Order: sequence, then C-alpha cells, then structure tokens
Amino acid sequence: MANPVKNMQRTIAEYKQMSAKDQKRFLTDLVLNNALYILMAIFVIYTAVKQENFLTLGSFANLITQVAAYLPLALGIAGCIVLTGTDLSAGRAVGLTAAIAGVFLQKSDFANKMFQNLPEVSTGWIIVTLFAVVAIGAVIGLVNGFFVAKFSLHPFIVTLSTQLITYGIILWFFALNGNNGQPISGLSREYKDFVGGAMFRLGGVAVPRYVLYAVILTALMWFIWNKTTFGKNMFAVGSNAEAAKVSGVNVFMTTVLVHTLAGAMYGYAGFIEGVRAGSVAASTGLNAECDAIAACVIGGVSFVGGTGKISGIILGVFVLRIIFVALTMLGVDSSSLYIIKGAIILCACALDMRKYLVKK
Amino acid sequence: MKKRLLAAGLAGAMALSLTACGAKEETAATTAAPAATEAAKEAATEAAPAADDAKVVVFWYDESDVYLGSVRDAMNKEFEALGITPDNQFAANNQSTQIDQINTAIAGGADILVVNQVTSGASDTAEDIIAAAGDIPVLFFNRAIGTDGSDVAVLEANSTIAFIGTDAPAAGHMQGKMIGDYAVANFDAIDLNKDGSISYAMFKGDEANVEAIYRTQYGLEDANAVLEAAGKPALVYFDAANTDCYQVDQGGAWSAAAAKEYMDTNFVSYNEANGNMIELIICNNDGMAEGAIASLQEKGYNTGDGHVVPVFGVDATDNAKALIAEGAMTGTIKQDAQGMAAAVAQSAKAIVDGTAPAEALAGLKDERFSLDAECASKLYVAYAPYTGE
Repeated sequence: MANPVKNMQRTIAEYKQMSAKDQKRFLTDLVLNNALYILMAIFVIYTAVKQENFLTLGSFANLITQVAAYLPLALGIAGCIVLTGTDLSAGRAVGLTAAIAGVFLQKSDFANKMFQNLPEVSTGWIIVTLFAVVAIGAVIGLVNGFFVAKFSLHPFIVTLSTQLITYGIILWFFALNGNNGQPISGLSREYKDFVGGAMFRLGGVAVPRYVLYAVILTALMWFIWNKTTFGKNMFAVGSNAEAAKVSGVNVFMTTVLVHTLAGAMYGYAGFIEGVRAGSVAASTGLNAECDAIAACVIGGVSFVGGTGKISGIILGVFVLRIIFVALTMLGVDSSSLYIIKGAIILCACALDMRKYLVKK
Repeated sequence: MKKRLLAAGLAGAMALSLTACGAKEETAATTAAPAATEAAKEAATEAAPAADDAKVVVFWYDESDVYLGSVRDAMNKEFEALGITPDNQFAANNQSTQIDQINTAIAGGADILVVNQVTSGASDTAEDIIAAAGDIPVLFFNRAIGTDGSDVAVLEANSTIAFIGTDAPAAGHMQGKMIGDYAVANFDAIDLNKDGSISYAMFKGDEANVEAIYRTQYGLEDANAVLEAAGKPALVYFDAANTDCYQVDQGGAWSAAAAKEYMDTNFVSYNEANGNMIELIICNNDGMAEGAIASLQEKGYNTGDGHVVPVFGVDATDNAKALIAEGAMTGTIKQDAQGMAAAVAQSAKAIVDGTAPAEALAGLKDERFSLDAECASKLYVAYAPYTGE
C-alpha cells in the first residue's frame, strides 16, 4: 500500500504465476473495476481530438471553477448517503441561504434593496453573513437529522418534507417588503470579490476565490471523515447501526450531526451560489441535490452504507463536470447529455455493486 | 459469469452512447463541407447560402417552453439559410447552469453568444455574462435583461451587446384592450349570474418575470379602462380574499399544468351552482390558457355547444390558434416567433461578419421590427392581436 511501485511489481509477479484462465479473469476484472476511468480517458481523448480548445489552460480553469462550485454540496450530501440515507432538501436549502446572503449583502445604494437598514457591506459583515447562512443551513440539517434519528423515519420522507417547507419559506421570503418575487439583484462589489474575485488567471480565464475555499473545505471534510471519532462513528452507523449501538456509539447524536454538517455545507453552497449566477431567484438551487447525489454515487459513496471516500466524491464531481464541459464544447444537444449522464450513473453504480455481489 | 456479462454490456452501452454523439458531430461537419465548396462555386449568386464556420452558440433558458420552441424551429431554419449551424444549449431554467454553459462556450472559442437569459430582469446577471464574454459579442433576446430601464444603462455601457425582444408592456396593453372591447360587446352574455359585473380569474406565468408582471397589470387595467369608457362596471376578481388578484405558476414555468390545477381547485367553491362562477379568464400566455380551458372543458364549458367562458392568452401558439378556431378560446396576442427568429439570426450573422451590434440592428429592414426610441441597441418585434383567421 505504502509503495505503489513495489505494489505493482508484486501484482505483476502474482499475475505471472497464474494459470491462463486466471490471467484472463484477472484482466477482465481489472478492466471492469477501472471501466469508469478507462471510459473517461477515451472520452477526454476523443473530445480533445475533436475540439482543440478542450485541452487548454483556459478550459481547465473553467473546469476546476465548476468543480469547486458543485463540490461543497456533494461533500455535504455524501455523509447522508454514508448513513444509507439521502437528502432531497439540499437544493432548496441552497436557494434559501443564497437568498438570505444576497439580501444581507446588497449594494447600499441599490434602488430595490429589500431591507434598507442593514449595515454597510464590509469584510466583517460578509463574514457575519457567511456564518449566519451556514447556521441557517445547519438548522435545516438539524431538523432533518432530528426527525430521522428520533422517529426512525426514512431520510427520503423527512427531507422531502423539509424540501417543501423550505421552498415555501423561500417564496414567502421573496414576497417580503414589496419585493413581489423579484430576483434579488444588486449584490455588492465587496461580496462578489470575496467569493468570485480572481485569484490568478489560467490561460486568460480568471480562477475565482471559491476554488480556494473549496480546497479548504475538502481538506476539512477529509479530516472530519478520517481523523475524528465522529467520522469513524458515522461509518460505523452507516455499516450497521445496531452493531454500532452495541459498541457504544451514540447513533442518535451521530445521525443528527451528520445531517447538521450536511446542512452547514448547503449554507456555504448558497453563499457562493448567488455570486455565481449574478442574482438569486426563487428557483435558485432547484434540483441541485440530484447532481450532488449523482457525483457521490459515481465516486463510490454507496447507498449500501458505510463506504465512501472524499477522493471518490471529488472524482464524481469531476466526471460529471467533464461530461458537461466536453459535451457542451462538442455542441451535443442537451437531450443526449441527460442520456449519457444517466447511463454513466447507472454503469458506475452497477460496477460498484458488482464488488459486493462478488464478495458474497 | 452472468454478472460480468451484464457489467460488460452496460459499459459497452455507455461507450456506444458516447460514439453515437460523436457520429452526430461528424455528420454536421460533413454536411457543412460540401456546402462550402458549393458556395465557392456560386459565390456570385447572392441567394446561395454561403457556408460559414462561425461558431454561433444559442443559450435557451429552458427546452420545454412552447413559444420559444417555435422560435427555435424558425431560428434554426433562418441560420441554415445563412449557412450557419447554430449550437443550441438549454439551461433547464437554472441560471447557474447557463453561466457554466456560457463559460464553457467561451473556452470553446465561440464567435457570438446569443443569450435567452434565465433570470429575466436581473441586469447584474447580464453584466456578469458580458464581463465573462470580454470581446465576444453578446446578443440577448426574448427575456428582458433588466427592469424599468436598468437594461438601457447596460446596453449603452457596452458596445459589444444588443437586445432583441418585445416591448414588454405592449402585449399587456394589447391584451387589455382586446379583453375590454370583447367584454363591452358581449357584456350580458359573459355575465353568467346576471349580477351586473364580470368576475375574472388571472393566471400569472412567473412571479419575477418582467413580461409576466406587465401583462398581469395592463391586461386588467386596460380592459377596465375600456369598460369604464363604455360606462360598464370594472372586472371583479372572483376571490375577494385574494388581494394579489392573480394566481401564479410557483415553478415560474408559465405552465398549463399550473393553470389547470388552479382552475380545478377554484371550481370547487366557485361554480355556476353557487352563482359565483368565474366568468372571464386572463392568462399571461397561451400555455396557461390551454390549462384553464382543459379544466373548463372537463366541467362541460367551452366545448363548442353550451356556454363559453372567454379565455385570453398571449403568444398565438399553434395550439391556441386551433382552440380559437374551435371556439374554445377567445383571443390571444400574436408574439411573432418567425419575426423574432429572423431578427436574431440575421443580426447575429451581421455581427459575426464584423458589424457593430447597434448597426446590425439598424440594418434590419422589416416592418415587423422597430428600434427603441431611446436606445439604439434595443430592437422590438411587434405584437399583433389574434382572434382567428
């Protein structure tokens, strides 16, 4: 494990010892287990040949910017999937927090400013807003986690309910102060810079600050998942809640905290979403959870529960974004995009399940 | 073994779907090539479509919008006639998706961005798109980029952009006048319960859309102005408890389904038996009008024989025209899909050929088009009332 070169040498040595039949099986397994990587490689090469702009620095900057935008939501929802659950409220939570962040950080001289007596936008106020929306997201997650853990309700039901409730709150919020459902616009320059300001340029394309934030969040989540008791408990509960309980894990607390952490991530995602779109509408965040869940399962965070890696989630988000960027550049119509996306999710999950089926 | 076959089959299917898309791209390329040689031969004849390798990318807010579907059909044909194969992208009513698509198209070397902006009425979003595009010209169409004149400021500050749309309040004014005229002429027939006033329902397409807001406002106000001038009482909203005086598609999709569901629900407490039936229906678009009519027809109205509740829409879609011909619908406002498509395609072609956007708009010679009085880079495609051929 520690030394990949030695590992490879050992594998090759083992391979040479095998009978012809075993060798064939070994190769088939190797191809199938890595089918996703192989297909992606073929796909990337094909696109690069067809579209010379695909493999440029500018295109890469565009890709990582998109990955950074979709990653936080996937990192949050992954915890729910590890617990064999799901979270349908993620998209609406992003919509609500994006709206609140937008209203807090509107330009002070903007004609349609929803709340006139908010403080002038400063770095301090931006950070207060960030914590506020992360807290609001966390509250939504807390409600999810509480009902899942307390009443043993399936997360599908609980989060479907909170999805609807959150959307109701969004609509109500957009109608406040004579706003009448208008999109929240006029976001302040400071807020836009804080989130989307260019750190540096790659091939002439600006790389926004939220790419850095995504890296920090990923490191944080990796630490939580792998190095804390809470992370280990999460996997224990996900593998077998009964066994975890018997071994002294507080299943109730773990479930509540996983959902709360997920909610906090949605809050952060909402914080950057408004800047990304330039304005916030009532429909912001609609169906965002679908892409996040898809990224997780492609990356091997299994609905079987108790398995998943941060690196897998990153891979999943990358796969989805590469497909999007490549097909958009190739000018493929969106109907094929959906079909290919669906096919890839199906294949990835089938190949993933294959590992479990073989074990049995 | 079986499982392995299954997995291999799935992987194969995926590979196939990838190559299938590739094949499509190739055919597009090969059809373009002979066109190019042909064009070289017939360069002298003006009518021959000269093949153009200009990369025109058109961003649509949603694939399922009925009116924009007819614009798209017409626009593809217009572009084809100009020798351009447009690349159509759909944002599924999600502004972030559209931003991602635009950034990707810019990285892919697009020559012009033709944008049907998702968040209508947010000039900030338009400014972000313009900033991302840099020197690449941006032609906005159909969905307004700002409310109440904020779009003019954006249009005037940027020489690389233009807007082609409709004068948002015009459809509302025209619909209002049509409703007013119809109500004055047929007042007693419309007034089912003979209480001396007409109760109406209003269906709004999207809470945030500028067009929807104007249509909702002027559709009623202008109708009432006509009624007042004729000495008749104003229209009364059927539900006194609803102070908004409209019901809105909460998904913002201007959908028939939303109108149908509202009407079905309204019928439970507001019907002929209770003497408080809705007597006139105003819809922001024909899609919602269809939904309202579907609900009416289930209850036995608007079926050809029996009472017809007048329903008004906007767009003059093929379905709406058919409903008007059957007598199930009363009137609509023709939003000229062909004209919109022609204006967009021709000016996009002129812009990629090097004309400045404002000049490209001024170069369009057609009675259907008119430039905004205050802003040279804003073009309107005219509306027209439609009550049957």
